[in-house]
Amino acid sequence: MNLTFYDRIFKPREYVLPNGKKAYKKASRAPVYIILILAMSALSVKITGFDMKILVSRIGQFFVILGEMFPPKTSYMPTVWNPLFDTIKMSLLGSVVGAILSVPFAMLSSTNVCPNKIVVSVMRVMFSLIRTLPTIVIALVATLIFGLGTLAGTVAIAVFSFGYIGKLTYEEIETVDMGAFEAMQAMGATRAQAFISAIIPQVLPFYLSNCLFNFEGNVRYAAVLGYVGAGGIGLILNEKISWREYPSVGMILIALFVTVFIIESVSRYLRKKLV
Amino acid sequence: MIKFENVGKVYPNGFEGLKHVNLTIEQGEFVAIIGLSGAGKSTLIRTINRMHDVTSGKLTVDDVDVMSLSGKTLRRFRRKIGMIFQSFNLITRTTVIKNVLTAFVPDMPWYRSAFGIYTRDEKIKALECLDKVGILDKAFVRADQLSGGQQQRVALARTLAQNPQIILADEPVAALDPVTANQVMGDFKRINEDMNISILINIHHIDLALKYATRVIGIREGEIVFDGPASEATQDVLDTIYNGKVDRDGNIQE
Repeated sequence: MNLTFYDRIFKPREYVLPNGKKAYKKASRAPVYIILILAMSALSVKITGFDMKILVSRIGQFFVILGEMFPPKTSYMPTVWNPLFDTIKMSLLGSVVGAILSVPFAMLSSTNVCPNKIVVSVMRVMFSLIRTLPTIVIALVATLIFGLGTLAGTVAIAVFSFGYIGKLTYEEIETVDMGAFEAMQAMGATRAQAFISAIIPQVLPFYLSNCLFNFEGNVRYAAVLGYVGAGGIGLILNEKISWREYPSVGMILIALFVTVFIIESVSRYLRKKLV
Repeated sequence: MIKFENVGKVYPNGFEGLKHVNLTIEQGEFVAIIGLSGAGKSTLIRTINRMHDVTSGKLTVDDVDVMSLSGKTLRRFRRKIGMIFQSFNLITRTTVIKNVLTAFVPDMPWYRSAFGIYTRDEKIKALECLDKVGILDKAFVRADQLSGGQQQRVALARTLAQNPQIILADEPVAALDPVTANQVMGDFKRINEDMNISILINIHHIDLALKYATRVIGIREGEIVFDGPASEATQDVLDTIYNGKVDRDGNIQE
């Protein structure tokens, strides 16, 4: 048996069968990882200046502000509708555009579909770069290019969706059973024809499910984009918080909560049907 | 007619898959290729439709040099050669008829296959092919709900829809129980006799090979060590092919 340094200190457990044969179970490595995680957490506390005393003494303020939001100012609701719909429109359009655009690039990122290794690596690096950019930064840049408003927000969400769906899709394509693809090629089909007939039917349900999940998330992200002027509900949320009009803030949050809840429930139902 | 003239195949890692293969297979023959795993059975069969390349010698199918083909000419050439796989290679998430209809995809514009638009004529042809292998009643069932034997028949129907002159079958019955394996071999035999399609089968079941095939080719370490009618495949011949480990009924020799 091959004993590492660790095994020499923490001896493997020995099982002896009635006929004298032996089986060994090596000692668990979990304690090492637990100690590492604890040490890193301690280090993080030191670096970030996390102070328990401030947290305990000021946490009450959070509930004071929360209390001021109630009762929410219902008369403010008519002003909320428009930005709320803007937010939904931004996330829907952005999600659809990003998801559709990502498909050809996801194909080029899959080693089993694209035979050229250089193309595959270039595409993957591109997807990683796009996913590294925080959506709020993309939105900020987009407002500089397209001006303030929902167009900038839509672009930001489309870029995020492109990176997110693209990555999930190429990972899905790579796990697909290639048998049918091989059969199509043996029948004289081109790679593109084989992809359409043999791989799309296998990937489509997962792709649609990912698109829905992405859309759910985007409604929440889109709510923040107004902070950088990219339109939607974040715009009035930012405004009302800075003016300390907490009852209006309460109204906005409730409207947002209900919207997100409805969209998530519908999406969850549809996703269950799909996969 | 398939003709191997001193054909060799060396894999990129240096392994010799085929050595000096000389074979002539006439239209309408039923050939079983037997040998140990790794002996080169799959390689031999897959060079015929150029799923694998040969590295030396000359391989011609109906006087066409297979290695001279590429792109469009290769794809057109593959249209007349059907292929059957051990694991069926169906699109499991979709219906049986749609699987058969994929045989028409290479001749169709892409948007028709993308949206699954097939003509009435194509559908009738697909159903006829399913009828020929006796599973017309399963046409609109999802492929993954069928048993292994039924799935292999769907694959056979898909190949028939291609209207091939040759069918290459790479261990078509290895994943099937003995009864179903016999039925599927019977299907092959019927297709071979009724439609004069040449059939080349890789197979591990010696009893099935000797029962259904008219010609047996034994291959060992990339070389053809036997080629003749099934009746001439004596125990001595099998000893050469399998290094003396099996008998004619497929039983292991101690």
